[in-house]
Amino acid sequence: MKRRWRALRDALNGPQDLGRSPGFWGVFIAATIGLLLYPASGSSFGLSSLVSFLLYVPMALGLGLLWGYGGILSFGQSAFFGIAGYIYGLVAGNLTGTPAGTIVALVAAIAAAALAASIFGYFLFYGQVSGWIIPLLCLVLTLILATFMGQTAGYQWRVGQVLLGGYNGMTNIPSLRAGAIEFGGTSTALYYLVVVVTLLLYLGLRVFVNSRYGHVLVAVRDDPERTRMLGHNVDFIQVQVFALAAALAGLSGVLYASWGNYMNPSTMDLLAATLPVIWTAVGGRRSLLAVVLSTVALRALADSLAVSGSQYAFLVMGALLLATMLFFPGGIIVSVARAWRRPSRTRPGAREAVEPKGKGEVA
Amino acid sequence: MGLDVLANLLYQFADNMAFLLLAALGLMIILGVIDVINLAHGEFIMLGAYLTALSYNWGHLPLPACAVVSMVGVGLFGLVLERTLIRRFYQDKLGALVATWGVSLILSQGILIVFGPSMAAVPFPQWTLTVGASSFDGYRLMLFGVAVGAVAVLWWLLYHTRIGVQTRAAMQNAEMAACLGIRIRRIYLLTFAAGSALAGLTGALYAPTTTIVPLMGTGFVDVAFITVVVGGGANPIVGALTSAAVLSVISAPLASISGTFIGRIGLLVAALVVIRFLPQGFSGYVRDLQRRRMGAAAAP
Amino acid sequence: MTERDGRPQQSERLLRTVALTKSFGGIRAIDRLDLGVARGELRCLIGPNGAGKSTLFSLIAGIHRADAGRIFFKGEDITRLPPFRRVLRGICLKFQTTRVYRDLSISQNLLVALALRGPERRDGDTAGRLAWALATFGLDRDGDRPARELPHSHQQWLEICLALATDPDLLLLDEPTAGMTPDETALTADFVRRLNGQGTTILVVEHDMTFVRQIARAVTVLHYGRVIAEGPLAAIEANKDVRRIYLGEQ
Repeated sequence: MKRRWRALRDALNGPQDLGRSPGFWGVFIAATIGLLLYPASGSSFGLSSLVSFLLYVPMALGLGLLWGYGGILSFGQSAFFGIAGYIYGLVAGNLTGTPAGTIVALVAAIAAAALAASIFGYFLFYGQVSGWIIPLLCLVLTLILATFMGQTAGYQWRVGQVLLGGYNGMTNIPSLRAGAIEFGGTSTALYYLVVVVTLLLYLGLRVFVNSRYGHVLVAVRDDPERTRMLGHNVDFIQVQVFALAAALAGLSGVLYASWGNYMNPSTMDLLAATLPVIWTAVGGRRSLLAVVLSTVALRALADSLAVSGSQYAFLVMGALLLATMLFFPGGIIVSVARAWRRPSRTRPGAREAVEPKGKGEVA
Repeated sequence: MGLDVLANLLYQFADNMAFLLLAALGLMIILGVIDVINLAHGEFIMLGAYLTALSYNWGHLPLPACAVVSMVGVGLFGLVLERTLIRRFYQDKLGALVATWGVSLILSQGILIVFGPSMAAVPFPQWTLTVGASSFDGYRLMLFGVAVGAVAVLWWLLYHTRIGVQTRAAMQNAEMAACLGIRIRRIYLLTFAAGSALAGLTGALYAPTTTIVPLMGTGFVDVAFITVVVGGGANPIVGALTSAAVLSVISAPLASISGTFIGRIGLLVAALVVIRFLPQGFSGYVRDLQRRRMGAAAAP
Repeated sequence: MTERDGRPQQSERLLRTVALTKSFGGIRAIDRLDLGVARGELRCLIGPNGAGKSTLFSLIAGIHRADAGRIFFKGEDITRLPPFRRVLRGICLKFQTTRVYRDLSISQNLLVALALRGPERRDGDTAGRLAWALATFGLDRDGDRPARELPHSHQQWLEICLALATDPDLLLLDEPTAGMTPDETALTADFVRRLNGQGTTILVVEHDMTFVRQIARAVTVLHYGRVIAEGPLAAIEANKDVRRIYLGEQ
C-alpha cells in the first residue's frame, strides 16, 4: 500500500508540470475543498458562472497537451467542441424516451469528435507537412463548419425529430441525466460533476505526461526526426494525441450543451476558435496547471468585460495574446513560476529559447 | 445550348479563380519570401473594404481611386506592422502565426467598436454581358482580369527587375544573399508591405459585392489558406496559379450543383488529399521534379 | 563466421546493399554501391570527405530514400520501410552531430529510448548491457541532469547509449569520436570492441585513423559513392589506390 502511494506521488510529482512541493499540494487541497464546499454558500447564479468557466477546462487541457507537450498547434479545437455538442444534441434529442439516452449521446458525441479528428489527423500527420499547415487547416475546418451550420435553418435540416437550427442554433437540448439526477444549468449536480471531472482530468493528465508515453510525446515535440530514429511511430502518436485533444474538446462541448441546453454555430467561429489558444498561450502551454488557472481566470475576465459588450472582451483577449507573445512567450504563469524558483537567474524581459523543430511548435 | 453551358462553366471558373487568386496572392508572396503566415490577412482585406467604403461614401471618390486608397492605406499599415511586430518573429515562424492572430482580433473588434456592426455599402457596378440565354457580371470578369494582371505584374517584378532577383536570392538562401550584400531586412519589409497592399486591393475590389462588416475577412481567409496550403511556399507564382486553377476546377461544379458551402468543403477535402501526398504543395512538387531531373542528368 | 579475403559469405550477411544509388540535385552521392556486412562484424567505413559515408548510413537507416537499388536486412528487403520500422527490426543509427533531447534529463532521454520495450520485451541482457554502457561512460549517476549541460563527449556517449537502448542487431556509428580527446577516443574504442565481442554487429564511419586502428579488423573504403577497396586494415593501408586517393601518391 505504501509502495503504491509512493508510486502515485512520484507519478504526480514528475518533472513535466509545475507545482511539486508539499506547499503546492496544500494549496491545491485547500482550493479543492473550497470548490466542493462552495454550493453551501454560493448563489445559483454564482454556481452557474463557475460551471461556465470550468466546463472549458477539458478543452483547454486538451490543447495544452497537444500544443505544449506534443508540439502541435491547432487552431481548430472549437470544431470538435461544436461537433460533439451538436451530435450530443441530435442523439439526446432523439432518445428522449430512453432512460440512458443522454449517456449514450455523451459517448456518441465524444466518439464522433475523436473519429473526426483521427481522420483529419491522418491527412495532416502522415503527410509530415510543414509546421504552419496544421494550424491553418484546423482553422479552416472550424470556419467551414461554423459557416455550414450557420445556414442549416429550415425544416429540411434535421436528423430524426431534432432540427439543426441554422444560425440560431439547436435549442431544447436535454441536460445530461443519470437516473434521477439531472445535470442542468443551475443545478448543484452539474456543478459537482464539472468540478470532479476537471479535478480527475487534471490529475490524470498529470500522471499521463509524467509517464513513459508522456515522455515520448515530449520527445516528439522536441525532435520528431530523432524520435523516429529511436523506433517510435511518430505519425501515429501525433494522430493519437490529436484525437485525445479532440475528445477533450468534445467533452467540453457536451458539458456546454448540458449547461445551456443549446448549441449554436458561433461556438465554432473565428472568435470562439481563438479562445483556447489564448487561454493556453497566456497561461503557459507547457504546464497543465497554468492552463487550468488561466482558463478560469480569462473566462472570468471575459465575462466581466462582456457586460459592456463582447467586442471589448475580445479586444482585450487579442491584446493579451499579442502582449504575451511579445513579452512572455512561454506564458505569464509559467514565466512567473520560473522567476519565483530561480530569482537570481531572472533577467528582465528575457525571452525563452527558440526551438524551431517540431510540427507547429512555438517557442 | 452547348454554348450556354460552356459559357456558364467558364464564367464560374473565372469567377472562382479570380476570388482564390485575389484572396491568396498577398499571403502567398509573404509566405514564399519570408516564410511567415499573416493570420490577420483577412482583417487586412476587411480594412481595404472599409477604406474603400469610406472613400466612396464620405470622400466621394470614384471606385478606381478608392482602390488606390485601399492599397496604399493597407500597404502602409502592413509596413508599420512589419517594422514593429512581424520582424521580431522571423526566427519563430509559428510565433508569428499566433501573434498575428492577436492582431486580427484587435483589428476586427477595434473596427467593430469604432464603426459599429456594419458599414455603408458600396454599389455594385452593373455591367452585364449577355451570351446566348445567360447574362454575366462584367465586373466579376474584370476581377478575373485584375487577378491575372496582378500575377503578371508580380512575375515581371520577380524575374525582370533587380529587386526581383534579390528577392529570389533571399527566398533560396537568405543567409547567403545577405553575405552578398543584399539587404534582406528591406526586402522583407517591402514584401510584407506589398502583400498587405494586395490584401487591401482585394478588399477594395470585393467591397461592392458583399456586405461590409468587421468579420467579413473570414469569408476570404478560409479559401485563401486552402489555396496557400495547396500551392506551397516554394514558388509563389507557380503555387498561386496552379493551386487556384485546380481548386477552381474542383469547386466550380460543386458549388453550382450543391451550393457554396459544399464547394468549400470540397476545397478542404482536396487540400487534405493534396498535402497528404504532396506535403510541400504543388510548387514544392514542381521544385522537387526539377531537382530530380538535375540528378538524373548528372549520371556519369 | 568465415571470411575469405575479408569478404563475408552470402549466407551470413546481416546487411546487404545491391546497386544502391542516391543523388542530391546534381551530385551523385552513392553510385551503384554493393556492400555486405556479416553478423557479428566490426567494420569501419572510411574515405575522403564527400565519399558518401554518411549518406550511406542515412540510406540504411531510412532517413533518405534511395533513388535505385535495394537494401536487405536479415534477408528482408527493407528498401521501402520507413525509419522507425527499421529500428524495430534492429538497425539503429547514432548521428554524426549530437542529437540528444537537450531539455530532457539523462534519465528522461533514456526513458524515451526504452519506451518501446515493454516489460515483456525487455530481457535481462538488454537492461544489463545498457547499465554496463552507462557505467562505462560515467552516465549512471546524476540522472536528473539536463542533457544540454553535458560536455560534448558525454553527449556523444549518451547518444550511443540511446541507440543501445533500442536493442539493435546492427549499430551504425557515424563519427562517434568527433571532438573527443585521445583518452576519450581510447575509451570509446575499448567500448566498441567489447560491445562487438558481445555479439552486436557494428558499422563505424570514421575519419580518425587512430580510432580505426584501435578497433578495426575489416575496413571498407568509399570514394565518390563507390566501394574501391575492402579488406583487413593492413591490406587497406598498403593498397595503392587507397594511398593515391588519400595521399596523392603516384
